[in-house]
This record gives sequence, C-alpha cells and structure tokens, in this order.
Amino acid sequence: MRHFPIILLALMFTSVFAHGNDGHINLGDKATELKEEGKSRDIHPSLAEIRKMHPEFLLHKRDQTLRQGIRSKRNSLKACVDCHSSTKNDEYLPINAPEQFCSTCHQKVGTSLDCFACHRTTPEEEL
Amino acid sequence: MTKKLNRRDFIKNTTANTVGVASIASGISLTTFAASENPVSNKKRWGMLIDTNKLSEANIEDMVNACQEEHGWGNEKYSTGEQKPDWIKKVKVKDKATGKIDSLPLMCQHCEQPPCVDVCPTNASVKREDGIVLVDKHLCIGCRYCMMACPYDSRSFVHENLSNQKADTPRGKGTVEACTMCVHRVDKGEVPACVEAVGGDGVIFGDLYDANSKINKTLKKIQSTQIRADLNLNTGVRYSGI
Ligand code: HEC
Ligand code: HEC
Ligand code: HEC
Repeated sequence: MRHFPIILLALMFTSVFAHGNDGHINLGDKATELKEEGKSRDIHPSLAEIRKMHPEFLLHKRDQTLRQGIRSKRNSLKACVDCHSSTKNDEYLPINAPEQFCSTCHQKVGTSLDCFACHRTTPEEEL
Repeated sequence: MTKKLNRRDFIKNTTANTVGVASIASGISLTTFAASENPVSNKKRWGMLIDTNKLSEANIEDMVNACQEEHGWGNEKYSTGEQKPDWIKKVKVKDKATGKIDSLPLMCQHCEQPPCVDVCPTNASVKREDGIVLVDKHLCIGCRYCMMACPYDSRSFVHENLSNQKADTPRGKGTVEACTMCVHRVDKGEVPACVEAVGGDGVIFGDLYDANSKINKTLKKIQSTQIRADLNLNTGVRYSGI
C-alpha cells in the first residue's frame, strides 16, 4: 500500500510524456538556456501541466487577447515561439518544422495544427 | 467504517481543501499585473480625427505604407487586383458643384453599430468594449457576409497561402481581415502606425469619451463629419475638411 502513490505517479508521468527517441525534447535555444539556469519553474509552474493542458491554455489566452485586449506573456503563442525556437546557421528554424518544438510531440500523437497558417513561425527580432 | 464529523473537523477539512484549490489555481493564473493584463472597458472609446486640409497626397500615401509595413499586407503574389487586400486606401471625393477634389484615407470606421458584426454568423466579427472592431480570425469561416455589409468597403479576404507574417498580425488564407486600429499597439499605450506616420495634427488618435483628450477637445471645437453619417452607425473615425 505504501508503494501505491509511487506507482500512480510513475503511471501519470509515462502517459503524459511524448518524448523524442533520445528521451530529450528539442526545447529550442532560449528555453534550453533558461532550463540550464534552473528557471523552468518560473515559466511553467508544472511541467506535467503544460504538457497536458497547453491546448486549453492557448485557446483561453487567444480569447482573452482578442476579446479583452489582455496581452501578458503567459500562454501567449508569440511568446512560445520566441522562447522555444531553435537556430541553425544563424537562422531561425520554423517552430512547426519536423523535429522542432511544436511538432515533435504532435507528430507522435498524430495531431496537426492550423495555427501556423497565420501565426509567424519564427521570432521576429533579428539574430 | 463510521466517522463522526464534528463542526471543528468540518471547518478544518474545508480550509485544507480551499488551500489546495487556491494553490492549483495560482499555478494557472497570472502572477503579475501590468496594464495590458486588465480587460479593456467601455469607459473608453478609441477614435481618430482625420483633417483632410492638413494631409497632403504624400501624407496619405505614407499612411498606407505605414499600415502595410506594420501589418505585412500588400505583397500577395497570386491575388488579382480585385482580390488584393486594402486595409487602408486613398480615396478621392469630388464636389460635383465646384469640382473641388479632396483625397482622404479610408479604412474601417470602427462603427458603434457595426453592420459587419450584425451579419456575422459565427461571432467572428466583434466590437471590443473600447469600440475597436475586429475580425476574430479563429472563428472566421470566410463567408464574407461582412464584406458585403460594410458600407465603407473596408474589409478584404485573403486568397492565398502566406508566410513570414508579422508577429503581431497573424494572417492567413480563407479569412477576412481589416484595419485593427493597431490594437496590439493601442493595448501597449502606443498610437496606430498610420497616425504615427503622419505626425502633427493631420490625424489625431485618442479616447473620444475623455473630456481631457485632444481628440475630444478638438471635436468639440471644430466642424467634423462622419462618412455616410446618414446610416447612423456612429463611426469612431471622423473627418474634417471635407
Ligand atoms: C520564456 C521561455 C518560455 C516560454 C515563453 C514558453 N516556454 Fe515552454 N518551456 C520553457 C522551458 C525552459 C522548458 C523546460 C522545462 C524543463 O524541462 O524543466 C519548457 C518546457 C515546455 C514543455 C515541456 C516539454 C517537455 O519536456 O516535454 C511544453 C509542452 C512547453 N514548454 C510548451 C510551451 C507552450 C505551449 C508555450 C506558450 C504558451 C511555452 N511553452 C512558452 C520555456 C518557455
Ligand atoms: C486565420 C488566422 C489564424 C489562425 C489559423 C490562428 N490564429 Fe491565433 N490569432 C490570429 C489573429 C489575427 C490574432 C490577433 C493578434 C493580435 O491582436 O495581436 C491571433 C491571436 C492569437 C493569440 C493571442 C496572441 C498571442 O500570440 O498570444 C493566441 C494565444 C492565438 N492566436 C492562438 C492560436 C492558436 C493556438 C491557433 C491554432 C489552434 C491559432 N491561434 C490559429 C489569427 C489566427
Ligand atoms: C510534450 C509534447 C508537446 C509539445 C512540446 C507540444 N505539444 Fe501541443 N499537443 C501535445 C499533445 C499530446 C496534444 C494532443 C492533445 C489532445 O489531443 O488532447 C497537443 C495538442 C495541441 C493543440 C490542440 C490541437 C487540436 O487540434 O486540438 C495545440 C493548439 C497545440 N498542441 C499547440 C502546441 C504548440 C503551439 C506547441 C509549441 C509551442 C506545442 N503544442 C508543443 C503535445 C505537445
């Protein structure tokens, strides 16, 4: 009975994770830096939560921004792109390209997004 | 198993639960409070006053260019002339009696009673509390009723796939778009790009309701008009000099 919570936790985590083959997801340049500095919790208070709940967070934020003019960074799609983009040869890679942050997990679970038909796929500021 | 719950235990348990809920909620909720984190309110109504006497043809072209630069429209490769977007355009009006010709910039007039919002079947056309009329492209199904309803011909439809959009102006094929009064700038306390491009008094942007604002004071003082005032739409964009 004492082991039960541990087993439960283990189950919860394995089911939510959809990691890359090496067990590490390509977080993008800025996010990797921030993670190494130990700042992860300041951005995503809970990893399990953002992994599971980000579609809801994004849609909620979308309505808040469009209808109420709320423009904080938390859960902003523009902010996800700014922080989770990777670079190669001094250029940003589109965040929805294969193996990039917003596509690895989605490839695995067979989800495709239409967000990037309109939303910019790279940070706007120059490198 | 039976357990008698006295009042004290009940209170103890409920407080424990409440704390649990609060800490979950705080993980999701916002942690800082800047101006842009508060919802906009109907205490304000954003508007513009365009004085055509103070605007040269070149000024108006600058306004159009500034809008294109800000929002990234105008580089559509495959759209034909009729299909090309026109968030703001230069319009010439001629007085039939005198032959006097005025040029003016025309864009979404941000009506108080917007016909585009009335006809939209999906609630994608919206008027924010502060009077800015927008297309919520997430809900837009591209039916284009709003384009037909608009007396100012100020909305366009995106006919082709786009890439490399501006970060603050997502745009995509199959949805309707128009002047946003640069909401993304206004929400930060800045003025719309076209207003900034002219500078001076040619175009005044501000809160129509605020008795201390320049736009409110000027409107009280000078003669101004709304285009198609006969429709009683009570536009947010006003003109003088025509
Ligand atoms: C300021 C930088 C920053 C922003 C903005 C940001 N993130 Fe993150 N994100 C991180 C960091 C750092 C991590 C790594 C956390 C860790 O592993 O400790 C991370 C991790 C994640 C993960 C988990 C990845 C994994 O390991 O499985 C998801 C999912 C995620 N972010 C989604 C988003 C979404 C969606 C947005 C936009 C709403 C967003 N992030 C915005 C920095 C950011
Ligand atoms: C048809 C075009 C279009 C599509 C598709 C689209 N968006 Fe948007 N989105 C917009 C526009 C326009 C805005 C308003 C931008 C502004 O006012 O700053 C916006 C704003 C947002 C915002 C608030 C601004 C920000 O960057 O945080 C979020 C969040 C958002 N969209 C999420 C999404 C998500 C998630 C998807 C995919 C499921 C998506 N959008 C698909 C056009 C689109
Ligand atoms: C840790 C893996 C992971 C990462 C990284 C990730 N996602 Fe997801 N995302 C998922 C999963 C799994 C789903 C499917 C959830 C479901 O079907 O309930 C999903 C679904 C979505 C959806 C809803 C799609 C739909 O059609 O309902 C959106 C929107 C979304 N993700 C946006 C993003 C964005 C934007 C990023 C990059 C900033 C991102 N995701 C990164 C795992 C991830």
